[in-house]
Amino acid sequence: MIPILDITGDVCPMTFVKVKMGLTKIASSGKLKVLLKEEALKNVISSLKGEGHKVTRVERQDAAFLLEVEKNGASA
Amino acid sequence: MNEADYKELKKGGMMRQKEAGLFSVRLHVIGGQMTTAQLRAIQEAADRFGRGSVHLTARQGVEIPFVRTDSLAALKESLLPSGVGVGVCGPTVRTVTACQGAFVCPSGVIDSPALADAVDREFYGKPVPHKFKVGISGCANNCMKAEENDIGIKGVAEPRWSRDGCTFCGVCEAVCPTKVVRVSEGGGRVSVDTEGCIGCGDCIESCPTGAMAEGSRGYQLFAGGKFGRIPFLGKKILQVLRTGEEAIAAIEAAVEFFRAHGKPRERFGDTLQRTGFPALEAHIHERMGRKA
Repeated sequence: MIPILDITGDVCPMTFVKVKMGLTKIASSGKLKVLLKEEALKNVISSLKGEGHKVTRVERQDAAFLLEVEKNGASA
Repeated sequence: MNEADYKELKKGGMMRQKEAGLFSVRLHVIGGQMTTAQLRAIQEAADRFGRGSVHLTARQGVEIPFVRTDSLAALKESLLPSGVGVGVCGPTVRTVTACQGAFVCPSGVIDSPALADAVDREFYGKPVPHKFKVGISGCANNCMKAEENDIGIKGVAEPRWSRDGCTFCGVCEAVCPTKVVRVSEGGGRVSVDTEGCIGCGDCIESCPTGAMAEGSRGYQLFAGGKFGRIPFLGKKILQVLRTGEEAIAAIEAAVEFFRAHGKPRERFGDTLQRTGFPALEAHIHERMGRKA
């Protein structure tokens, strides 16, 4: 079961901080799902990419997006 | 001193103050860049010939106010060793403004200071029908307000989509601020309307797989903007120029157009309202040997 982090109620930079914190609790190559609003998409995905993680799935859910993130997935 | 003398002095950057016998001396600054040695020279000059103050202008310039008529020549002389020149006013190409550009700013796409230097070298102080301002923004964030200038330049990153790796997740379409990225119904294709693309690079930055990548970088050209009493935003004339040399050639063609069609004391935007903006576009294309 992949844990889900809901940041739909947050704005930048808390969106970034929460995702970063969420990933620290996960083992390398482990996965985390992030539920976020459209406004946060660009900053969250670009910072994930910048930190060497990989967005492996994107799902649209009504007014939000659900990302599946593989920790350190881009450097593997 | 008669009015003609004042006018000549003004053209050379010596601006008559309200109080008789005093001038605010405009300095030559390019893209807001100065070395600390130059700042020290300005500091000394302001202490010696002014009243120990400087004014930072609205367009990245520096002026030393409260300089007496009989000190003007000595002030100019004192700044020479530091390479700080005296500025210009009147119907000339004015201070070229620029951001810090791609080598300093994380958002930067083009080397704005280098282009500002080149534009300054080619056009600064040259005569035109009325004041003529050039501003250079390193990216679509447009900190230098390209559309407020007679000629504005913006650095743009053009996206290029490839099917390889694309999952048609729709992130690019969702983040596009001008809604020109479209994922086809049910996936299979992603299209970008390049004419409406502002080159911000958001789709590139947020693509999870790298299917939306940077195609090429370029320069967008805007013309006819001004502020003052009746502000007017410049219009986009060319969607993309590939190199700094092309940007310089386009500006040269625009200056030439202004000299040919502009009336004395008429801003470029007003000239373009008369001739129509497409006339300028056609002239630039012709001069650069490009197809319209």
